[in-house]
Amino acid sequence: MSAAPTMPTAPARPAPATAGAPPLTPVFVRLKLSLLRNGLRQSSGRTAVYVVSLVLTLLFAALVVLGLVALRGNDHAAALVVLLVTLVALGWAAMPLFFPSGDETLDPTRLAMLPLRPRPLIVALLVTSMIGIGPVFTLAVAVGSVIALAHGAAATVVGVLAVLLTGLVCVALARAVATANVRLLTSRRGRDLAVLSGLIIAIGAQGVNLGVQKLTGPDGLGVLEPVATVVRWLPPASSLQAVDAASDGSYGRAAAGLAVTAAALVLLLWWWQRTLTTLMTAPDSSTLQAMEKDTRRRSAERGPLRLLPAGRTGTVMLRSLRYAWRDPKTKMSWAAALGVGLLLPIVTAVQGGGSVYTACWAAGLLGMQMYNQFGQDTSAFWMVASTIATPRDAYVELRARALTIALVAVPYVSAVVVGAATALHQWSEFLEAYGLALALLGALVCTGGLSSALAPYSIPAEGNKNVAPGQTGIASLSIMGGMLAGALLTSPVLGLTIWLHVADAHGLLWLVLPVGAAYGLAAAYTGLRLAAPQVAKRLPEILAAVSKG
Amino acid sequence: MVQDAAAGGGRTDTATADGGRTGTGSGAAVGPAAVRISGLWKKFGEQVAVAGIDLELPAGQFIGLVGPNGAGKTTTLSMVTGLLRPDSGQVEIGGHDVWRDPVAVKSRIGVLPEGLRLFERLSGRELLAYTGRLRGLPGDEVDARATQLLDVLDLAGAQHKLVVDYSTGMRKKIGLACALLHNPEVLFLDEPFEGVDPVSAQTIRGVLERYTGSGATVVFSSHVMELVESLCSWVAVMAAGRIRAQGPTAEVRGDADSLQNAFLELVGANRRLAGSQNLDWLGGGNR
Repeated sequence: MSAAPTMPTAPARPAPATAGAPPLTPVFVRLKLSLLRNGLRQSSGRTAVYVVSLVLTLLFAALVVLGLVALRGNDHAAALVVLLVTLVALGWAAMPLFFPSGDETLDPTRLAMLPLRPRPLIVALLVTSMIGIGPVFTLAVAVGSVIALAHGAAATVVGVLAVLLTGLVCVALARAVATANVRLLTSRRGRDLAVLSGLIIAIGAQGVNLGVQKLTGPDGLGVLEPVATVVRWLPPASSLQAVDAASDGSYGRAAAGLAVTAAALVLLLWWWQRTLTTLMTAPDSSTLQAMEKDTRRRSAERGPLRLLPAGRTGTVMLRSLRYAWRDPKTKMSWAAALGVGLLLPIVTAVQGGGSVYTACWAAGLLGMQMYNQFGQDTSAFWMVASTIATPRDAYVELRARALTIALVAVPYVSAVVVGAATALHQWSEFLEAYGLALALLGALVCTGGLSSALAPYSIPAEGNKNVAPGQTGIASLSIMGGMLAGALLTSPVLGLTIWLHVADAHGLLWLVLPVGAAYGLAAAYTGLRLAAPQVAKRLPEILAAVSKG
Repeated sequence: MVQDAAAGGGRTDTATADGGRTGTGSGAAVGPAAVRISGLWKKFGEQVAVAGIDLELPAGQFIGLVGPNGAGKTTTLSMVTGLLRPDSGQVEIGGHDVWRDPVAVKSRIGVLPEGLRLFERLSGRELLAYTGRLRGLPGDEVDARATQLLDVLDLAGAQHKLVVDYSTGMRKKIGLACALLHNPEVLFLDEPFEGVDPVSAQTIRGVLERYTGSGATVVFSSHVMELVESLCSWVAVMAAGRIRAQGPTAEVRGDADSLQNAFLELVGANRRLAGSQNLDWLGGGNR
């Protein structure tokens, strides 16, 4: 439809040569709209997701705007606004790293074969980037911020400029970061990073949650002031600081604030243009990768890893540790267990319901790492399977994997229990909580080993799914059943603790630590002993189950 | 042909060499059979993948398992190497039953499966170190062998790179190195040349020829007939889950001018091509 008017003009000007080339910006805007439309046309599910996310974003934006409007006149409004806008800008900077395939026009290497000049290209790309849900949200936040701060005509004029500048800086920032990192984003490392994004967002959300709780407390907003004094001079927040300054009548500060953001925009555009030019005139990344210099990995003989035992045990532990660091899926599950295991005691403590027992979460989450051990190997499990000939081999393999978990979990859980006891001054309950945590860890290693042998399932290597299609049933059954069994297994130690409390035998509560530790060890040993013959017997079945990813 | 003569020579050589290598084999083995398969069946749901295979692969030979896509080559090799449980049938390697005596079998065979991953987040050298130690070899020996294998397979320059960043040819080569590390008696390779560039293919070929020259057995699957014909002294032709022919390459080829034609005849593809007159409108002047 929109293309119709341009069609007849094309034959009229047969040779546009240099002067008559059509302006790039409308072409790019149409390209972006077509990509959007075609993407939605592909499936109704995608359309639904898009519409829902659009509605949700608009609702959220409306809420933010309402909240900001309500802040109008508050003493700390300026502090909150500058921090909010800085947060949004940080989000823009990080977004392309986590969602590299989010926007097809984001990858300028697709345009490398076209004869385009950098300057019109930058303008066209910048304008195109302003189309989308993200920019709408950003502009809404900026408008809300201006409403919260602007008093008087001068401030309103500055406000309009500030909204524009904020939007442009955010978009240019995202584009420049994406362009500078396009080699990383299209490489394996970039895809690895994208897998970790969910975790970073989840942990970040916890941080925001804690922050919001602090801010909504009495005189909560006052906490922001010291941070805001620095941030208010950083772009794009400085443009909103300018609005605040204009409202106070200090026009010099207002001009300075606007100038800082405008300078940032110019710098960003310059940087973007430079990287874009290099990128589009340099060889393709696949060629460069082949020539990439071989980085020597630190050999195990020199590091502390050489302390690992010899034979199969040390070999398997070394590989498991390397995978925990190098494989994005394994890394994510370890990082989630370590992060959440630490966060939960902290969050509950901050919320006022803290107890040293919350440290058991760390033990529980780390113990869960023992689940689906062979699924974590993916189909590479055949390499393990072809070296397991006896139940003894299988036992050594399982034990080495359990030892890897213990190597991390035992010191970590100890540190979390000690930390919780120190922070909450609950040393009286320290020994029993520690004992219970160790018993739980051992119980989960036991049930995890068994479920690894009896209910393995595939973990797809790519994407954010942790279970292959069709195996969700096995996965949830194994995890839920295992957790339940783990809890049941821990119940004797829990029972002992409760009984000692009820019987008023507080003097004997220290017993829970040695009993719990011994119990955990015994449970883990028994579980691995029971699981090993099953693994040795079911090697082909396990391989088939873990190869579906 | 030159290859035939060489292969024939190899055969007489290796019969004695094999006697030395598998001298402890059970009395059931008559003659130097490296692999003995009888009545092997596998069904996936309704689909029969392998329909009762009987096969006796002589020791010390370069053996090709050929067949079109979907013939059941991978399924057969997986069952023979203990990675897939057969519905019925028996497999013996060097006189030891694969499923009843895994201790004897697993140390004697090397495997390079197709479509299964490696531990790709290890570097090439780390992967070899891992595999060798998992097989119970002493650490120093593993490292020495790994250095030589990386060198011979032209991977020394990429030994510290993660396998996930390797090309297809490099992956096949590091997989081959893993399979050779413990000096197995029988090597099973599933499509070792699939997707491999000519230079890597030549390297792989050289290593395998040296290896069979020492009296070991290589069993590999392929659908590239020219390759099989030039490499193998013995072939088994598979189609639709059954063995259509087996024996020395020259015998299987018979009167046909190439193994390719003999193969097409055996799997019935020639008839399909001849019976294609219902495409007689294609090309020509009937437009």
